[in-house]
Amino acid sequence: MSVMTGPMATDDLESAGLFVSAQPSVEPVISMVDAGVTYPNGKTALADVNVTIPRGDFVFLVGASGAGKTTFIRLLIREVLPTSGRVVVAGRDLLRVRRRDIPRLRRRIGIVFQDFRLLPAKTVYENVAFALEVTGASGGEIRRRVPMLLNLVGLHLHGEHLSTQLSGGEQQRVAIARALVHDPAILIADEPTGNLDPVTSWEIIQLLIQINALGTTVLMATHNQEIVNAMRRRVLALEGGMLVRDEPEAAYEREY
Amino acid sequence: MGFFRFIAFSVVRAWQGFWRNAMMSLATTATVVLMLVLLSGLYIVISGLNSGLEFIESKVGVTAQLVDNLPQASLERLISDAQQLPGVKAVNYVSPAEAMERLKAVYRARGQELNLGDQTLQKISIYASLEIQLADPKAADSVATALGDRPEVVQITTKQDEVDKLVGIINVIRTVGIVAIALVGLTVLFMIVNTIRIAVYSRSGEIEIMRLVGASDSFIRWPFILEGILCGLIGALIAIGLVAVVWDPIQPVMFDVFKLPVAVGARFLATLSALLLAVGLAVGAIGSWISVRSYLTA
Repeated sequence: MSVMTGPMATDDLESAGLFVSAQPSVEPVISMVDAGVTYPNGKTALADVNVTIPRGDFVFLVGASGAGKTTFIRLLIREVLPTSGRVVVAGRDLLRVRRRDIPRLRRRIGIVFQDFRLLPAKTVYENVAFALEVTGASGGEIRRRVPMLLNLVGLHLHGEHLSTQLSGGEQQRVAIARALVHDPAILIADEPTGNLDPVTSWEIIQLLIQINALGTTVLMATHNQEIVNAMRRRVLALEGGMLVRDEPEAAYEREY
Repeated sequence: MGFFRFIAFSVVRAWQGFWRNAMMSLATTATVVLMLVLLSGLYIVISGLNSGLEFIESKVGVTAQLVDNLPQASLERLISDAQQLPGVKAVNYVSPAEAMERLKAVYRARGQELNLGDQTLQKISIYASLEIQLADPKAADSVATALGDRPEVVQITTKQDEVDKLVGIINVIRTVGIVAIALVGLTVLFMIVNTIRIAVYSRSGEIEIMRLVGASDSFIRWPFILEGILCGLIGALIAIGLVAVVWDPIQPVMFDVFKLPVAVGARFLATLSALLLAVGLAVGAIGSWISVRSYLTA
């Protein structure tokens, strides 16, 4: 397999002023202490999870369906609250975040999904601009930031295309550009390659690596063994709601 | 600046939302128009009857028919006593000759001439009388009782029966009208709640993305509330337009019905327009607020 070159060099983006706030620092971007989630129906989806993810890390989250990956992610974006323990994301204790402050927290977290979740009636440009528009960004800010982000993901020539006219890989790039509009501290990718062919999957991984190199923490939930094994990054493995493995430079499966 | 952008964003989204589901929005707007036209009708009729009532009340409240050839001194004493009674605004002496002139005027208005030959006024029962205007219409009974006991007075007539009858009619019309409008209003509310619910569902994808990228609740909710308000606003403007168009043709009809030039003038039209606008906007806002609260849960 070949490692693709990113559409834009890292230095160019830094000089363009992107990701200035995502400088590495000592404080972890995610910290869970004895965190657990039990749903109102009594099902425990996560139990006693202890994990610290420092700023700038690249982490794979693996586990079979139903192992708790989705709840783990929903917890990070505060769609569910921890029913036990403590979870701190981007410096905010989730149990202490007031309802009206949730939007502000979510701007510190970018998220992409397996199914892209783009707005089909909007163009590529509009899909990215929408995320700025709905958070009250000025027209000038939108005109400045959107082309920069489309450049980063290599779609600067596709701005006027409808998102439905794009290939799966291109759609995922749009979703990544959108997730980065607020210059988040962490990018969460939930099975981002689940709907993509192997070559396109690798292109997306390369893009995520490039974004990570710029200082953004990346957490990627995946079933893709080949990618995890090839990358040799930190791996968090969930099983039955428990964190059963937290290993640096690891493989998809336990190797000992 | 930020607030202005929020308003602009919400208004544009509301406008797009209104036309995205045009059939539903227009049907809802039509029910708003129906409700407001009913409300206009009720308002006009009630206003007409109320001015009729005021007119009657402002006229002679109590009439005291006097004995013949009352000495001037007794007459003056009676007038001054009547003026002292509570609730009395003014006392007006009508001589037999004056009463005769009025009678002739009534005939002339009908295009006839009153010819009594050489009969005296007393023979055809034309008497001197006191016309007493009341400051407080409720005082009619006490004034009538007080004057009825006086020897100078032959007979007392009041307008109370007419007033009571009119008050009764007004109350019935008002009650029936309010109940009818309340029922139509509930339908309108239901339509708006439903329209906005459908709008929320049709935008569920966008709403989900807005939440994920950190849009605040106001950015998510207000476009829908404004969409409901838009239904109310457009409905109110159409209703006001309709009232303005039929305004001139209905004036003579109203005059015929109420026998009075009631409720005329730009000021009345302005008041009615303001009422329609307020009710339209309120029903739109309440309906969409209910919908957003029920179907746009966090």
